[in-house]
Amino acid sequence: MALLELEEVRAGYGPTSVLHGISLEVPDGGVVSLLGANGAGKTTTLRAITGGVRWTGDIRFRGRSLRRMATEEIVRRGIAHVPEGRGICTELTVDENLRLGSHLRRDAPEVKKDYDRVFEYFPVLKQRRRLSASTLSGGEQQMLALARAFLMRPTLMLLDEPSLGLAPIIVRSIFEIIRSINETSQVAVLLVEQNARIALDLSMTAYVLEVGRVAVHGAAAELRSDDSVRRSYLGY
Amino acid sequence: MQEFLQQLVGGLAIGGIFASLALALVLIYNAMGLVNFAQGEMAMLATFVAYALINRGMSYWIALPVTLVLAFGGGIVIQRVVIRPVEKAPILTLVIITLGLATLLNGLAGFIFGYVPRSFPSAFSAQTIDLLGVFISYRDLGVIGVSGLVLLAVYLLLQHTTVGLTLRAAAHHPEASRLLGVQVSWMLALGWGLAAAVGAVSGIMVAPILLLEPNMMQSIIIYAFAAAVLGGIESPIGAVVGGLIVGVTVNLAGAYLPFVGGDLQLAVGLAIIIVVLIIRPNGLFGRAAARRV
Repeated sequence: MALLELEEVRAGYGPTSVLHGISLEVPDGGVVSLLGANGAGKTTTLRAITGGVRWTGDIRFRGRSLRRMATEEIVRRGIAHVPEGRGICTELTVDENLRLGSHLRRDAPEVKKDYDRVFEYFPVLKQRRRLSASTLSGGEQQMLALARAFLMRPTLMLLDEPSLGLAPIIVRSIFEIIRSINETSQVAVLLVEQNARIALDLSMTAYVLEVGRVAVHGAAAELRSDDSVRRSYLGY
Repeated sequence: MQEFLQQLVGGLAIGGIFASLALALVLIYNAMGLVNFAQGEMAMLATFVAYALINRGMSYWIALPVTLVLAFGGGIVIQRVVIRPVEKAPILTLVIITLGLATLLNGLAGFIFGYVPRSFPSAFSAQTIDLLGVFISYRDLGVIGVSGLVLLAVYLLLQHTTVGLTLRAAAHHPEASRLLGVQVSWMLALGWGLAAAVGAVSGIMVAPILLLEPNMMQSIIIYAFAAAVLGGIESPIGAVVGGLIVGVTVNLAGAYLPFVGGDLQLAVGLAIIIVVLIIRPNGLFGRAAARRV
């Protein structure tokens, strides 16, 4: 049984339907990419998983259906969702944002260790702890969002375009950290990306969406080496 | 000079009362972008509850916390029963609902307690002490002390507890907060409860001065609006500073501007609202209203 299973998920906003029956799986501890052009339904898929949009079909997490579950409840079961736009609370300080990530945890000693890990990954966040999160650059905000998600100690992270708007060198270091989090903490990752090349490097499997349907899926290595897939869906 | 300082301290005392009610307004404004026009009537009703408790022989210092707890619960009930069903309605609908709530609570108080003004006890004597030649009443000092304690408690709760953190996060970033496991809807209820309790303090502090009756808070709420607008309607600290400035201004204007006297003090409060909205619509502590879209 996979950690996360989507079965024929249909969803949309009001009368506009965006997903026309998506099925996908994320295995325990695996990294799965969700690729595709703008408007293909990648963000909506993530939103469906954490209850941000109504859906039909079925979504199961650790075998339990998430149907009619409130976002807060889904998140508390171990899914950390870094949304489009990063969801940074700009009214709060960097430290307060981090504390929001860990605020539900009761294992204080472990939380402390995880803070140390976070500051090892992102030393800049330690320097800026007391500052308002609104003073951070785009790359630093992405780091904060990732750090905050890590502090929730999830079993699954949903990452919505972590590379968006960032310089290539920062993208590379952020993806290195995502890889490290996945490997050392066994956190599964469902990664939405426009930057197919870097996403495929990180993932084991990938799904390519086209107007609300899964067009292709398979092992990341295969998709990467298949020229026709690359040209028609991945654009590089 | 002595006279001036006495008026100043009197202004700070009344300003602390305005500040409490203004803070209540700001708490709800922050949580849902709504000015709660029923805040004054909620405070008035809470004051009647305190009155009933004290009348049944409860001591003032027990009745005060008991009332605050009841007001807190009442605020939560109002949010759950009256506000939550229409939470997603346009803001104008919500404003009209709070106006209706104000009328309802006013009528309810009149129905239960009648419209005859009643004297409300103060925990502090009206005697004065001589501080370096300035005569200050214990009552003023007590009001300043109690308001200060309440404001400090709210500050500590918001800034230094996890509940306060989630409350602020839910108010400013509901969507992001939900994704972090914050129960946003309950945070709104908590905000209403907190606002009701803080507002109740203003009612209980002002009742010995004004006499308790269902319309008691109708002038105070105007000053509280002035204070909240002056502070920048989103800022808790602004509400406190605004409250003190409005209190002092109104008191000094009443004492030194012969044409203001006791009759036109409310007009001073309204004038502050208008002047602030024209000259500095974001208030003293508010941020620019421009938002990225």
